Amino acid sequence: MDQLEKEVQPKILEALLNAKTDYTFDDALENEMVLNMGPQHPATHGVLRLLLRLDGERIVACVPDLGYLHRGYEKMAENMTYYEYIPHTDRLDYISPMANNVAWVLAVEKLAGIEAPKRAQYIRMMIAELARIASHLVAIGSFAMDVGALTIFLWTLREREKILDIWDILCGARFTNSYTRIGGVANDAQPEALEKVKWFVDQFEPNLEECEKLVNKNRIFIERVDGVGAISKEDAISFGFSGPNLRACGVNFDLRRNAPYLCYDEIDFEVPTYSEGDCLARYFLRLDECRESAKIVLQILNKMPQGEVIANQPKKVLPHKDEVYTKMEELIHDFMIVNFGINPPEGEIYHAIEGTKGELGFYLVSKGEGRPWKCKIRSPSFNNLQVLPKLVVGQMISDVVAIIGSIDPIMGEADK
Amino acid sequence: MEEVESKPVKRRTKDLNLWEKIYIPEIIKGLALTFRNIFRPKFTMEYPEVKFEPPASYRGRPVLVQEESGVERCVACGLCSRVCPALAIEVQAAETELEKERFPEKFEINMIRCIFCGFCEEVCPEEAIVMSKDYELAFFNREDALYGKDKLLVPASELEDRIKFLRQYK
Ligand code: SF4
Ligand code: SF4
Repeated sequence: MDQLEKEVQPKILEALLNAKTDYTFDDALENEMVLNMGPQHPATHGVLRLLLRLDGERIVACVPDLGYLHRGYEKMAENMTYYEYIPHTDRLDYISPMANNVAWVLAVEKLAGIEAPKRAQYIRMMIAELARIASHLVAIGSFAMDVGALTIFLWTLREREKILDIWDILCGARFTNSYTRIGGVANDAQPEALEKVKWFVDQFEPNLEECEKLVNKNRIFIERVDGVGAISKEDAISFGFSGPNLRACGVNFDLRRNAPYLCYDEIDFEVPTYSEGDCLARYFLRLDECRESAKIVLQILNKMPQGEVIANQPKKVLPHKDEVYTKMEELIHDFMIVNFGINPPEGEIYHAIEGTKGELGFYLVSKGEGRPWKCKIRSPSFNNLQVLPKLVVGQMISDVVAIIGSIDPIMGEADK
Repeated sequence: MEEVESKPVKRRTKDLNLWEKIYIPEIIKGLALTFRNIFRPKFTMEYPEVKFEPPASYRGRPVLVQEESGVERCVACGLCSRVCPALAIEVQAAETELEKERFPEKFEINMIRCIFCGFCEEVCPEEAIVMSKDYELAFFNREDALYGKDKLLVPASELEDRIKFLRQYK
């Protein structure tokens, strides 16, 4: 432990205090100051720690210190079957577990060469889009709260609550959903659940409008975030920004359209883009994406085919329950899959989806065993956070809070 | 990647008109909006007084299904304990005179570990372990959280909802 501190801390300090520092202790008003923000700061969205070098209230340098929520999920994947890992993906980006579930099973299916039935794919799209709405609602609400508008937070969470109620009916859990399965989804979407989705989409637009009305023309809110934390298109691309943050910089890139997975090529949707790349643009963009997702969900509901929700590949996909009860063959497969895993062929793949925060990808290496030999998670929050030092330099200390809120990092995902 | 201009409906500082810049009218509008919500039906649930009634698909605490004869369905195959991602289940098998030949001498679920994923239920070949609707789990100490067979066994008649759901949708 001592050794670690000796090695890590000076490095952070070194990055913070470069050669240009005038770090003296003579006159309190004359010199700069190092401020530690977090990991338990209420406005840093989880356990993000920032070391700020301040000149008065202006930020001269910033070093984010990540890893306070590190649980070793990449390593854990090496010790469990692909199937057992599904609940663990819930705990990556805990604001949108459904999207993570979808990303994981798509990666495994690509590795093992399984194709889920059409209905399952549509259900997956539906839950991924609803998860996007839920996640953006939290992002919008907490961003507004960070700059002082509390009511909008309560209202957006009220809307999100309705989505959680849908999860409750659909898969039986509000938060840790674990709904998708390799080769399909855990259970068919019940008519009640689909009805509730329809109801939600129908009432969503006026409610969202009510939320945004509170601040959209509010001078204090707009002046507080207009032009704050702006980043250029080129910088955004070179730093590996993705998702809503990237599109707010004027880059029209969305994996749903640029590299379609599931059935997104059958759906008609727009990719909202803004050119300013500041906090306000990111906020507007999330609002637009919520609306767009609601439209996608509506189309999905209309187009959803009937049929199976789990692929029929006995050696790779868990059989239906009633077959397990009655047929010997299925019973044996049940035992084999649970005990030894699905043994995908040797090889490595990368599959990414447009997650709620950006490009959420899993890189898997298989040695033909039941468990992955290596699993790497490309989590959007982690990559998005890299830009933070660049965004906050030159801003006021109160803007840091707004900038973090507008990037919308989820530390469970950034720290893995 | 084509360039896209910002939509004009979205306001930035320069787009605000005088009326909006004065700010006071906007505050009043906002307040009016907030006050209108007082008259809306209440959205929250007053939990301990009003109990949440879970749907059939709800994943509450896992329980063992007990037949009418008072015997559990479980044949102690150990599959649930193998699959449990949280390593919460402990099963010890023993032989029995009954038709099923094996039964769990000890069946213990650590409710502190359990993450209510429902995998045990999903893999069980005997429909012997299912998720109940019980979500009120609180303990004063860790020993209380170890649920043995005495607490886990629930008559099948009380779990009809869930079993019907499983047969229909899983
Ligand atoms: S509950 Fe089911 S899976 Fe678990 S040991 Fe008993 S029979 Fe096997
Ligand atoms: S619900 Fe999941 S965590 Fe709980 S006992 Fe069953 S398999 Fe284990």
